[in-house]
Amino acid sequence: MSEQTATAEGTAPVPTEPESHLEHLSMQQALNRALAESLAENSKTLIFGEDVGRLGGVFRITDGLQQRFGADRVFDTPLAESGILGMSVGLAMAGFHPIPEVQFDGFAYPAVNQIICQIGRMNYRSRGTLPMPITLRVPSFGGIRAPEHHGESLESLFAHVPGLKVVSPSDPHQAYHLLKHAAQRPDPVIFMEPKARYWQKGQVDTADGGTLEGARVARSGRHVTLIAWGAMVARCLQVAELAAEDGIDVEVLDLRWLKPIDAAALALSVSKTRRAVVVHEAPRTSGLGAEIAALVTEQCFNVLKAPVERVTGFDVPYPSGDLEDEYVPNIDRILFGIQRVLEHRRG
Amino acid sequence: MAELPFPLPDLGEGLIEATVLEWLVAVGDTVERNQPLVEVETTKSAVELPSPQAGTVVRVHGEPGEVVKVGDPLIVFEVPDNTAGIVGTVPQDHAPKRRVRLSPVADDD
Amino acid sequence: MGRHRDHLVEGIDPHLFVEEHSPAEESTFRPVLLLHGFASSTKLNWHDSGWVRALTDAGRRVITVDLPGHGQSASPEERDAYAPSRIRADLLQVLQDSHVIPLDESQPASGVDIIGYSLGSRLAWEFGATQPDLVHRMVLGGPGSADPLADFDLAAAQQYLADGSVIHDPSTADLLRMARLVPSHDVFALLTMVEAIKGEPFSAAEAVPQMPLLLVAGEKDDRAATMPELAALSSHAETLWLPGRTHTNSVTSRAFKTAAIDFLNG
Repeated sequence: MSEQTATAEGTAPVPTEPESHLEHLSMQQALNRALAESLAENSKTLIFGEDVGRLGGVFRITDGLQQRFGADRVFDTPLAESGILGMSVGLAMAGFHPIPEVQFDGFAYPAVNQIICQIGRMNYRSRGTLPMPITLRVPSFGGIRAPEHHGESLESLFAHVPGLKVVSPSDPHQAYHLLKHAAQRPDPVIFMEPKARYWQKGQVDTADGGTLEGARVARSGRHVTLIAWGAMVARCLQVAELAAEDGIDVEVLDLRWLKPIDAAALALSVSKTRRAVVVHEAPRTSGLGAEIAALVTEQCFNVLKAPVERVTGFDVPYPSGDLEDEYVPNIDRILFGIQRVLEHRRG
Repeated sequence: MAELPFPLPDLGEGLIEATVLEWLVAVGDTVERNQPLVEVETTKSAVELPSPQAGTVVRVHGEPGEVVKVGDPLIVFEVPDNTAGIVGTVPQDHAPKRRVRLSPVADDD
Repeated sequence: MGRHRDHLVEGIDPHLFVEEHSPAEESTFRPVLLLHGFASSTKLNWHDSGWVRALTDAGRRVITVDLPGHGQSASPEERDAYAPSRIRADLLQVLQDSHVIPLDESQPASGVDIIGYSLGSRLAWEFGATQPDLVHRMVLGGPGSADPLADFDLAAAQQYLADGSVIHDPSTADLLRMARLVPSHDVFALLTMVEAIKGEPFSAAEAVPQMPLLLVAGEKDDRAATMPELAALSSHAETLWLPGRTHTNSVTSRAFKTAAIDFLNG
C-alpha cells in the first residue's frame, strides 16, 4: 500500500478512489504476467527453453508470450539443458537478461556444469565485470504425481553453490513479485516454482509486493515456528489451523530465499516461540533443514526449549507419483514434529 | 475451460500442405490423446493424424477435399483450465485430514 | 522388435526389417501379417496410415516386414533377392520366426491372416495360394489382375534417370515418381526389383488362393480397375469399393480398416 501522504494539520485529505491493483490469479497466471511485464520493461530480456515458445510451456507459464513478443525474444530450444544454460551464459556476457526455463527439475542435472562452473562463478572470475543477470526458472518439487525425473527437490544443491541466489515462491502474490524482482537483479537466480501450487488461485496485489528480500511471516504464532518454502508453506498453514484447534499457536515462516537464508528472520521468530520445526521435501541428509537448524542453534541456543526438529523427505531418490504421498511430509508427520518439540524436556 | 488450437503439424520431407480426406472426429466429440483425428493426403502419401491432446472438439478446419497448409489451424480443443502439463495431474485442495492430536503446552518460564 | 532377421533363407541372409506389435490387450486372435506396396514401406503404408494402431486396438498381434529395397530393409545388389518367389520364401521364414503355427481348428490363434496393399496384395495372393495350411483369411487392398510392374518401361525409366528424357508411358512415369518421392528409397534397388518382377510376372489364374478373400479398392483407383476379374477367379472373394478414393489415399480409409477387421474376425 502506498504510504499516506502527510497533510497539513487541519485540512482534511481529499478522498480519492484508490485504484484497485488486486487480482485473483493462479500462480501460473501470476508468473505469466510477471514474465510478460519483464519482457515489456526490458528489451534485453529473453525467454527460452523447451516448448516455451510455440506451445507456451508444458505448464502454460509462457502461454502467449511468443505471439506477443515475437520468436526473437521468446523461443524454443533443442532438448539440451546444457545448451540452454550455456547459451544463457553467452547472452548474459553480451548484455542480455535471459530467463531460461528447465522444463522439469530433474532435467537440470545435465546443465549442472554450466550452472555451477560458469553461471555461479563468472562474476567472481571476471572481478565483477561480467555479471550474470540470469533467472533460471525450474518447475520444482513434487505433488503432481509425475514420473521419475519430473519431481525433485534440488534447493540444497543450488544453495551450496557460491554465486547463485535461490528463491521459491509459495503463492501467486509471492510468485508475481519475486519473479519480477529476480528478473531485475544483476546476479543469477535459481527460481524454483512449486509445481503443486501452479493451479491454486490467490489474491495478487500487483502494485505492492512489500519487501522482497528475506523471509516473511506467513502466520504469526507464539508456541512454535514452522519453517518452510515452496509448496510446503501451504501445508504448514493447514497444520497451523489444526494445531490451533488443540490450543497450540503456530508461527509459519515462509523462508522464500534459500540462498541467502534470512538468518535474522529465523532469530526473530524463534527467539519468540523458542521452538522450531523445519519442513522440506528434499532428503534429510545435507538438506537445507540442517543449515537452518545450525543457524537457529547458533543464534537462539540459550532460549531454545528443544532441539530443532526436521520433518523431511527420506534419503531415497524422489519417488514417482504412486509413492509421493508416502515421501512428502504430510500433515500428521508435521504435527508429530511439533509434538516432539513441545514434549521435549531438558534433562 | 480454455480453447487449445492445434495447427497441421510438419509432415516432414519438405511437405507444406495436405488435403483433408475424412474427419474421424466431429465437433462435440471427446477425444483421447493419440486417438485418430483426421485422414489427410499429401503429394506423397495418405496419413492418419493422431490427437496430440485429450479434450473436447470445438472446431475443425478443412472440409474433405480442402487443402490445409502446415502451421495453419487444423482443430481446436476445449480443455479444462487446470490441465496439468504433459505429465502429472493437478493436485486437488481438500480439507486436511489428521490423525495426530497435540497436547497443550505449559510454558512456565 | 525391429531387428533384421539373421536366418539364412536359401543360403542367403535377407536382412529384412521385421517388427512385431503386441495387441493392446491380451487376446486369442491369430496374428496379422502386413505386406506393403511398391515404393512404400511399413512406416508409410501401415504406421502413418493408422493400420498398426487399428489392428492392435482390435486385439491383433501384428507382424510387419519391409520388402527388400524398401524402408529399413537392406537393398541387395543381386536381382534374385527381389524375385517374388524369393520374397515368398523370406516371408515363410519371417512367419516361422514369429512363431506362427499351421492352422489348427482347435487353436483359434493358429495360422495367420494377411493384409496386403498393391504389390503386397500380389505377393499375398501368391503366398496364400502356396501356403493354404498357414493362411486363414486375406484382405487385398488396391489389387488387380494386371501387373503394372511387369509392364513397367525399364529402359525409359533408366533413360530418364540418366538424362531426363520424357517417359511416355503414364504408368511407368507415375511409378517412378512414387519411387523417387521417399528420399530414403534407393531408386536403383527399386528398379532392380522391377527387373526381378519382369522375370516372374503376376499370373493370378496360375495359382488361386482358396481361403476367403476380401478385395478392397477406391472407386478412383485406376490400378485396381481389374479387381473384379481377380475376384472372379476365387469362389470365396468379396469386394468392397471405397467411394471417391484413389490408389494413394484408399490406404487410410476408416471404412477399409473396419471392413478388413470385421472380415478377418468373421
